[in-house]
Amino acid sequence: MTELATRWLGLELQSPLVVGASPLTDDLDALKACVRAGAGAVVMHSLFEEQLVEEQMAAHRFIDSRINMDAEARSFFPESEVFEMGSGSYLQRLELLRRSLDVPVIASLNGISTGGWTGHALELEAAGAHAIELNLYDLATDPSETADSLEQRQLAVVRSVTEQVSIPVSVKLSPFYSALPAFVAGVEAAGARGLVLFNRFYQPEMDLDELELSREVVLSSSAELPLRLHAAAMLYGQTSLEMAVSGGVHTGDDAAKAILSGATAVQVVSAILADGPGALGQIHDGLIRRLSDMGYRDLIEARGALSMERAPNSRTWERLNYARLLHGWK
Amino acid sequence: MEFHTLDGNEAVSSVAYRLSETIAIYPITPASVMGEHADDWAALGKPNLWGQVPSVVEMQSEAGAAGAMHGALQAGSLVTTFTASQGLLLMLPNLYKIAGELSPFCMHIAARSIATHALSIFCDHSDVMSARGTGFALLASGSVQEAQDMAAIGHAVTLESRVPVMHFFDGFRTSHEISKIAALSDDDLKALVPHEGLEAHRSRRMTPDRPVVRGTSQNPDAFFQAREAINPFYQAFPEKLEAVMDRFAGITGRQYHLFDYVGHPEADRVIILMGSGAECAHETVEWLLEQGEKVGVLKVRLFRPFATDRFLSALPETVEQLAVLDRTKEPGAQGEPLLLEVSGALMEAYSRGDRKVLPRVIGGRYGLSSREFTPAMVCAIFDELEAEAPKTRFTVGVRDDVSHLSLGVDSELDIESPKTRRALFFGLGADGTVSSNKASIKILGEGTDLFAQGHFVYDSKKSGATTVSHLRFGPLPIRSSYQINRAQFVAIHAPQFLERFDVLDHAAEGATVLLNVPWPENEVWERLSVEVQRVLVERKARLFVIDAAEVAEKAGLERRINTVMQVCFFALADILPREEAIAHIKESIRKTWGRRGPEVVRRNVEAVDSALDNLHEVPVPDEVTATRVRPPRVPESAPDFVQKVTRLLLEGQGDKLPVSAFPPDGTWPTGTSQYEKRTIALEIPIWESDLCVQCNFCAMICPHTAITSKVFEPEAVKGAPEAFEVVPETQTSELEGLDYRIQVAPDDCTGCGLCVEVCPAKDRTQPKRKAINMQPIEDHREVEAENLAFFRSIPDVPRDRIPRDFKSLPLLIPLFEYSGACSGCGETPYIRLLTQLVGDRLLIANATGCSSIYGGNLPTTPYTVNADGRGPTWNNSLFEDAAELGLGMRLGLDKLVGRARQLLDGFQGQLPEALYSELTGACTTVDETAMASRRTAIEQLRSWLADQQGPEARELETLADELCPKSVWVIGGDGWAYDIGYGGLDHALASGQNLKLLVLDTEVYSNTGGQQSKATPMGAIAKFAAAGKATRKKDLGLLAMSYGHVYVAQIAMQSHSNHTTKALQEAESFDGPALIIAHSPCIAHGYDLVHSPAQQKRAVDSWAWPLYRFDPRRTHEGLPPLQLDSPRQKVTMKAYMQEEARFRMLELRDPERYEQLVAAASEAATEQRELYKQLAGIHFEPHESSDADNDKGERHD
Repeated sequence: MTELATRWLGLELQSPLVVGASPLTDDLDALKACVRAGAGAVVMHSLFEEQLVEEQMAAHRFIDSRINMDAEARSFFPESEVFEMGSGSYLQRLELLRRSLDVPVIASLNGISTGGWTGHALELEAAGAHAIELNLYDLATDPSETADSLEQRQLAVVRSVTEQVSIPVSVKLSPFYSALPAFVAGVEAAGARGLVLFNRFYQPEMDLDELELSREVVLSSSAELPLRLHAAAMLYGQTSLEMAVSGGVHTGDDAAKAILSGATAVQVVSAILADGPGALGQIHDGLIRRLSDMGYRDLIEARGALSMERAPNSRTWERLNYARLLHGWK
Repeated sequence: MEFHTLDGNEAVSSVAYRLSETIAIYPITPASVMGEHADDWAALGKPNLWGQVPSVVEMQSEAGAAGAMHGALQAGSLVTTFTASQGLLLMLPNLYKIAGELSPFCMHIAARSIATHALSIFCDHSDVMSARGTGFALLASGSVQEAQDMAAIGHAVTLESRVPVMHFFDGFRTSHEISKIAALSDDDLKALVPHEGLEAHRSRRMTPDRPVVRGTSQNPDAFFQAREAINPFYQAFPEKLEAVMDRFAGITGRQYHLFDYVGHPEADRVIILMGSGAECAHETVEWLLEQGEKVGVLKVRLFRPFATDRFLSALPETVEQLAVLDRTKEPGAQGEPLLLEVSGALMEAYSRGDRKVLPRVIGGRYGLSSREFTPAMVCAIFDELEAEAPKTRFTVGVRDDVSHLSLGVDSELDIESPKTRRALFFGLGADGTVSSNKASIKILGEGTDLFAQGHFVYDSKKSGATTVSHLRFGPLPIRSSYQINRAQFVAIHAPQFLERFDVLDHAAEGATVLLNVPWPENEVWERLSVEVQRVLVERKARLFVIDAAEVAEKAGLERRINTVMQVCFFALADILPREEAIAHIKESIRKTWGRRGPEVVRRNVEAVDSALDNLHEVPVPDEVTATRVRPPRVPESAPDFVQKVTRLLLEGQGDKLPVSAFPPDGTWPTGTSQYEKRTIALEIPIWESDLCVQCNFCAMICPHTAITSKVFEPEAVKGAPEAFEVVPETQTSELEGLDYRIQVAPDDCTGCGLCVEVCPAKDRTQPKRKAINMQPIEDHREVEAENLAFFRSIPDVPRDRIPRDFKSLPLLIPLFEYSGACSGCGETPYIRLLTQLVGDRLLIANATGCSSIYGGNLPTTPYTVNADGRGPTWNNSLFEDAAELGLGMRLGLDKLVGRARQLLDGFQGQLPEALYSELTGACTTVDETAMASRRTAIEQLRSWLADQQGPEARELETLADELCPKSVWVIGGDGWAYDIGYGGLDHALASGQNLKLLVLDTEVYSNTGGQQSKATPMGAIAKFAAAGKATRKKDLGLLAMSYGHVYVAQIAMQSHSNHTTKALQEAESFDGPALIIAHSPCIAHGYDLVHSPAQQKRAVDSWAWPLYRFDPRRTHEGLPPLQLDSPRQKVTMKAYMQEEARFRMLELRDPERYEQLVAAASEAATEQRELYKQLAGIHFEPHESSDADNDKGERHD
């Protein structure tokens, strides 16, 4: 049987399977079940910069600004409701998860400016986060901002977080960088310790009947995995950042492929959201079964075995593969 | 000694809270805030003086609160409550009991008018005076400082004396005035409260360990003696109160007496009064003394028990002329209560020989419903006292040209010390002006040695409200308990005020005027009207301007301009060094909003920092250059009454109207809101006829009837304005050949955007563009105002031509328009729809609450009439009795119908047979054709009767209209239906009468500021449920269904208008009682109401608000009466709850409790659904119709 225990970001994990950032943060029972089923760590959902700001301003607009307007109604909510709407509840949750779970708890920050909000990283550290996952979810919509200036802004965000905390920081990336390896080198230089590949874009759905956009969240499928495997395989050996694959892992074989591509950890979300914590157990068992069948004693042996650096036909990861595919069906 | 800057309610509540163990309350303006403070402190775990957190319980009514108070006292607890006006009246029976049982108890009243010809939330003493027979001691205070002090004295003396105490102070004037006072510490209170009295109270408690009975019923042989046995307690009370007042003076240095005299020791003229007016009299007397006058004022602290000897010793022997002022009216009385008490005391003194001469005593009324009481009026009274033959009964503050009782007053008199700085601010309710002024007072009160006072005046609109803040600061204590007459600083926070009323009327000579206007500074002068320029020039004012909206907008604060204007005030008022003031403002922002998070603070600080760069002085030339005069407040076309009365009310000059201008019985015309053009929206909906699909959703949802649709004969648009677009009606076959238009009322729209939100028609190439779009008002106002005038003049097509489906109903003329409800209000569309269905045959009994304020608060009335002059007739009696009022209307109306039929039958044989048949045949309120024929027949009957002789013919002429059926609807909120009026509602339903009850359920007491009711859903945070309501919402519908004979429906119009229209029509057609429970989105839910259709849909889909109809008629057909109209749960309870701040706040504060309550709410919904499903599946054998008819016959006789 392959030994699944591993280290990621300097943390001891009972398995490489990590519950990824998701609404599961709010479901302690499910998280406990995931840990029992073999999860090695838990990533909380993101402390979202814009969401914090938006909610504070919404409270200001719809509660605090509706006072002293009327002779009869001094206000519409109890005064004791004027309480902190920053990171307080997130930190409470973090502390609860730390107390209740026997595995490392990784907090997640999501923001795109270097403003004061990166100060939340310090709060997360103080609240006991074992690590921070910094989510660089950013959409380029401004035609005057070049790729370079956007990347420099993102790296500045990474630096401002890593400089503030002593716990390890991993950076969750979007898949679409023109020059991913160079950017990853920048991330490494900015002081990060790990990479999470990749963010899933929650692209809005189009409602053709109503002629409008809707915001339904679509769960991932294994079809999304190859993009991640490709990136991990390409980066393996080129960076000392420890990689996690996130997005599209639904089976033990999916997880095995991630490890063989070069990932140290494998994040799972959609499978658990769809089928409950048992899904993680199945992935866990499937991973052991597959790696054991393949004769690996531990993950170190398996990691990166099919990466661009080590795979027997490693050119398959490169452009040539694309060319052949195109010609193949002619 | 610690100084605090706070309002009277907080000052009193702080004392009462610390000295109580059980607090039973019920919200009522202006006392609600005291209970809210107590609830907040309890939620935060603040202990009382004995280390316990008091139990704060909100009851179903003040009557309920009084019962709970009585019980808690019997259990030996220390008890208090806070109330006013009608609330006090509801408590009266228990107050007699509490006093009769000599229970130590102190309650606090923010004195308010009792509703008579009209409701008023404002101050006078009619409420406390109605309680003067209860046996309570009545203790008056006249300022925030006194209110705090007297609260403590009241709690102490009741324990010493066993006589319960009613401490009262003036509503709004004192309850809401912010003032800097010396605060009472816990140690002060500990030193004051008698320990023995507390022990004795406890030892009298009911306990089975030492059983007694109280509340016996006594016979003639016992009652009288027992009643007389209390006398020693009342005889001893004055002395005990004096002792407590002396002890209080020893602790605090502030000495009070039962009667405090201020003035010349040998005064010849004295006035006597109590409450805040005494402060104004005090200030005036001091000024008159400086002028060498021999005058004085006697302030009454203890009204009951009236201590005659103390009174006599406090009143200088030299007094020759005495004026006694009462702030209440007792029609027909020999005099008002204080006058009678004083006269009696003097007579007794004379007859006992204690006084050799009696002064001449006159009595006057002042200050009813917060009418101003000013130094000029005090002087007028002293002048009157000097007259050879003064009016023995007089009024001051009104011009009485009917009974000629009023005194003339020199309104220009200004006695205020020049050392006191006075500032006036005109703001919008939503722009935060009052909040920042409160902050400014705190800054000056707590950060400097200055005394500070703030008084705030609000109009009665819930959207686009005007606020006026009166701020005074200075080195001397401030006794001016009246509004500012001459201000050195006047700030106008919204440019529209310049066009609405004379905002500079109270600017002093040399005043600084600050204007927030969106105009370039070099254009400001030329844009001002003649009136504004004239005051600026004549009073040599300095004018400063700022585009505060732009500064706020740039800082991300939308239209919240208050901090920007606050900086300008401090910069110009020169009370504090600029830098210091700005530092204080920032600190105050941090203190107030820092708790919300850094972003709110950051944006406000940014606004503060950029304010002064945008502040500019505009030079005021030596002469007026404008030619444009301020537009009239009502159009010239308005009726005479509107011109003569309503116009002055709108211009803020109502208090100048004489008595004769007013109807003496509270009867007012309807249809006046159309003349009050408020122009409060920044953007209004503009119709794109090419995209419109004529669904009428916009007109259906508009809370203010500010967008309406209409069909009309094509020739009706002859002579229409050029921009008046029409399209052929294309959606409804019955309306073929007619033209169609959607019209906005630009000056009545509040800009809520709901119409655009629900508009389904989109431009396929540019889906952002809908068939209606919000556009800047300045681009469309004039054109649309002209279009509206024409639109309103187009004759309506006959009512029976319009199909009764939900898409067509909005085409019927609405008889409820342009109310002052909140922007986005979820209640008003129901009322408007009801008036479209049956408005011309509708009597409304309205419970007090939001719907009575936007429905019936002067100056204008949204209920209106159709071209025939018919429309809803409306009455608000009380909060608690709307169902009974409606039931009474029904009964009374039915008797008149019966009499009319009786008279008609008397003419049978003489009348043409066809006419008689027409008048006696079937006709119901839902049959438009029959209604139209009946009305024609009634006209024919009138013509016929005109030629008939005899009293019967005349009587039938009067009653003939009742031959056409009428509909009686009761309207009220959930506070009424679920709580205070539930007993009456239940009884009205049980009566079986043909009465419809519409519950506008916002799930909180909206009008008084979001207190929980039994309709508040589980998991919601509300006042008195600060930790999130842990129990289920009462299922009012199920209770009503249990009768079996009541039509019941639960509806949600913003998302399911089809269902709503069905339910309303079924209810109307049902010959019996009907209860309609209407989901009403409200700003108290804490989200942007433009999303209310989507959010309401979530409420329905999650079964937080299931839709159903229960129609007893179906049982006769063997069908289950209950139909579930939203049978499936489509979204989770959480998906609904997470979208509203009232739930989300709990999640943020206590996530675990939130999760528990979400789960419990979800379970409750599941259980309700399962129960309802079974009810909806019940099979009935069809009833014998004859039995049913018999039942009905019995019911209706």
